[in-house]
Amino acid sequence: METLTTLILIFIGAALINNFVLHYFVGICPFLGVSRRVDTAFGMGCAVTFVISVAALLSWAFTYFILRPGAPLPAWVWEAAGGNPETQIDLSVLSYIIYIFVIASSVQFVEMYVRKFFPPLYKSFGVFLPLITTNCAILFACLEIMKHLQDPTKLWGLHEALTLAFGGGVGFTLAISLMAGIREDLDMCDVPKPLRGAGIALIVAGIMAMAFMGFTGVEQGVQTALGSLLK
Amino acid sequence: MGQESRRQGYIKQAWLVVLLAVLYGGGLAGVQRALSDKIAENKRNETYDVIPALVSGADAANTVELRVTGKDGQEARVYQVMDAAGGHVGWVLPAGGQGFADRIELLIGLDAGLSTITGLYVLGQKETPGLGDYITGESFRSRFQGKPTDTPLVVVQSDPTADNEVRALTGATISSASVSGIVNAAIANLKEPIQRQAASGGALVLPGGGE
Amino acid sequence: MAQDEPTALERFINGVLPENAVYRQLLGMCPTLAVTNGMKPAITMACATAFALICANIMISLIRGLLKPHLRILVFTLTIATFVTIADKLLAAYMYDMSKQLGPYVPLIIVNCVIISRCEICASKQGLRVAAADGIGMSLGFALGLASIATVREILGSGTWFGLHVMPGSWPAWGIMVLPPGAFLTLGLLLGAAEWVVRKRAERAKEGK
Repeated sequence: METLTTLILIFIGAALINNFVLHYFVGICPFLGVSRRVDTAFGMGCAVTFVISVAALLSWAFTYFILRPGAPLPAWVWEAAGGNPETQIDLSVLSYIIYIFVIASSVQFVEMYVRKFFPPLYKSFGVFLPLITTNCAILFACLEIMKHLQDPTKLWGLHEALTLAFGGGVGFTLAISLMAGIREDLDMCDVPKPLRGAGIALIVAGIMAMAFMGFTGVEQGVQTALGSLLK
Repeated sequence: MGQESRRQGYIKQAWLVVLLAVLYGGGLAGVQRALSDKIAENKRNETYDVIPALVSGADAANTVELRVTGKDGQEARVYQVMDAAGGHVGWVLPAGGQGFADRIELLIGLDAGLSTITGLYVLGQKETPGLGDYITGESFRSRFQGKPTDTPLVVVQSDPTADNEVRALTGATISSASVSGIVNAAIANLKEPIQRQAASGGALVLPGGGE
Repeated sequence: MAQDEPTALERFINGVLPENAVYRQLLGMCPTLAVTNGMKPAITMACATAFALICANIMISLIRGLLKPHLRILVFTLTIATFVTIADKLLAAYMYDMSKQLGPYVPLIIVNCVIISRCEICASKQGLRVAAADGIGMSLGFALGLASIATVREILGSGTWFGLHVMPGSWPAWGIMVLPPGAFLTLGLLLGAAEWVVRKRAERAKEGK
């Protein structure tokens, strides 16, 4: 039950309280660029959620088994090659390069999948699908997972990593769909010329961020509620 | 431009990528060699630089890092603080927990008998600027000094009347209560296991550490 | 052959204001919003980005003859990731507190569209001097963008600039400015201001004709 509480808290944290777009400022480019209509925005959100989950899975595996200080695989190879078993192998300097390759591969994989099973969706995405590679949100999720794999006494398992990634994706989808809904209405308003486009979108995002700040402190409440509920 | 030459083009491409990967990998390994010690030292100093402020008479160079299994079954890091002569003057417990906005990381200073709090330091927090983030200030942290560890601390809005009461920050009751909650939880989790291990004379030591 | 391509000086000037990364191209907004709650983190981030951008431009310009269409993005990304890792390690070694404050935003420079687009548009096509000038110009422009936003946010939000108190003690610090909403609002309004200036200038130029 401890695990379930932790997972629920991680999910709510990533999706609502520390929303990737409105709190951590990652994924702003698609947030401003692809939020003109609700259906494309929602589709983009789902694609990003898919990619982020696949990327989180792969990067967790790479970091847990190979990249973190004291990882099992390099230590095994080192010992097999006759090295001193006391030395701690730390390959974390290669982390960022590995992550970016993982993300590029995840995007390729998702692209192939979408092209095969949802051809009209693939066509409507156009160039935006491969552009997900430069979406900060995915690299950010990988970095957060890496952060939780540094302390050997408190290592995150695959379930926690996937929950964070999925929660982040859901939060991104929520934010981008909300923004698209608002912008669809804004199209019919008389926005001052200098602010049209990115200017007004950012101001709207600011107000949305203020609204999401209302979720601060929810984590504590949920923790207490779940604690008494699941006893 | 047939299949054959296109495939040759790809192989030529792959050579460049592999060469660059090896080159960059070598460069990064060099950077790692040059800087990793400095970075590890910085990380270590983050805690060790604060220890003299938490336990009086402490000598950071003599302090030992130990691993203790807390009541929750998890291994925790604690610091046995020695003075310059090697005498045991106190303990420092790293602790963390949910604050109002996000996680709060603390260092709790205790005396050698684990009976009184000698100091508190906030390593990391993301509380509300201008309200909750005053928990990092000296005036709030000093309210914990001299408090006993036998009963859980309680946060009150007015001046404390009992030994285990701590005055909350005006306008930041939840942040203040979170800090006292984290302190209580850490002490409850680790006080007896540390006393037990110190009494039996065989505390776990990190590889490469002192003792 | 290269007569119609911009010269080094043109690239340099271009990057500072006309094609400013933050205000005109709207690239690299993630760090722009995240680290501009104070001047110190903003300038540190600008320097880290400058390091990665200039080194990547130089490197790509040196190997531009070997690049072929299909794998060039991969090569760009590999190069940028390497230099960003170096920048991150240097920060962690020599400016540890700043490194902790900037957190995950330094590695996020890798996906900062500014660098990849400069590699694609300039470094992979032009010589060493031009690429370096382009990198320096773009970095200056990016730094200007970050500094302008950070100035507004820090002065209004904490009453300080670079940590020094500039507002009278009675100024009630607008806490919201150093929090996420303040970032969005400041950038949105400053973007509007920049757009207004550009439009006015274009109108005046048209009237002058």
